[in-house]
Amino acid sequence: MAAFVYILCAITSSCCAVLLFRNVRGSKTGLLFWSGLAFIFLAIGNLLLVVDLLVVPQYDLLIVRNLVTLSAVSLLLFGLIWETE
Amino acid sequence: MNSILSNFIGGANTFGFLLIALFFAKFWKRTRDPFFRAFALAFLILGIGRIVEAASRLTHASTPAVYVLRLVAFSLIIFAVAQKNMRSKKG
Repeated sequence: MAAFVYILCAITSSCCAVLLFRNVRGSKTGLLFWSGLAFIFLAIGNLLLVVDLLVVPQYDLLIVRNLVTLSAVSLLLFGLIWETE
Repeated sequence: MNSILSNFIGGANTFGFLLIALFFAKFWKRTRDPFFRAFALAFLILGIGRIVEAASRLTHASTPAVYVLRLVAFSLIIFAVAQKNMRSKKG
């Protein structure tokens, strides 16, 4: 059950990134680009969650996961502030 | 040392998610576009999810169930993007 939840998180966040990037070309603002980029990092973070908790449970990747998520959050905040009036 | 740094970054992430939710809420208020409402809700859920994760770690009651909130947030975003695409194709 736990593995199912972790893997689903990774899959859904990856889907978000793909869907957002598919719409970047037709968009007037760069917000979709920054959102897509942020979701790529969120997807990487969720993949790391799967690796951390299922593949290498003897190691603690929490700080790496948190740094990747921080990158995602920072990118999206930058996009929200810079690309919008 | 590692856990202090990890908690610090985790706190920054939580605040970041909530701030992003606020931005999207502002866009929704201005445009009334349900796309922004969904994003605001999703990031609010992600922020709350982080708080729940931290609380569950503090009380040593960590379960995979806390990650279900992430699943809900991402599903909301997928739904919002898909709905937006369908609306653009129609009109």
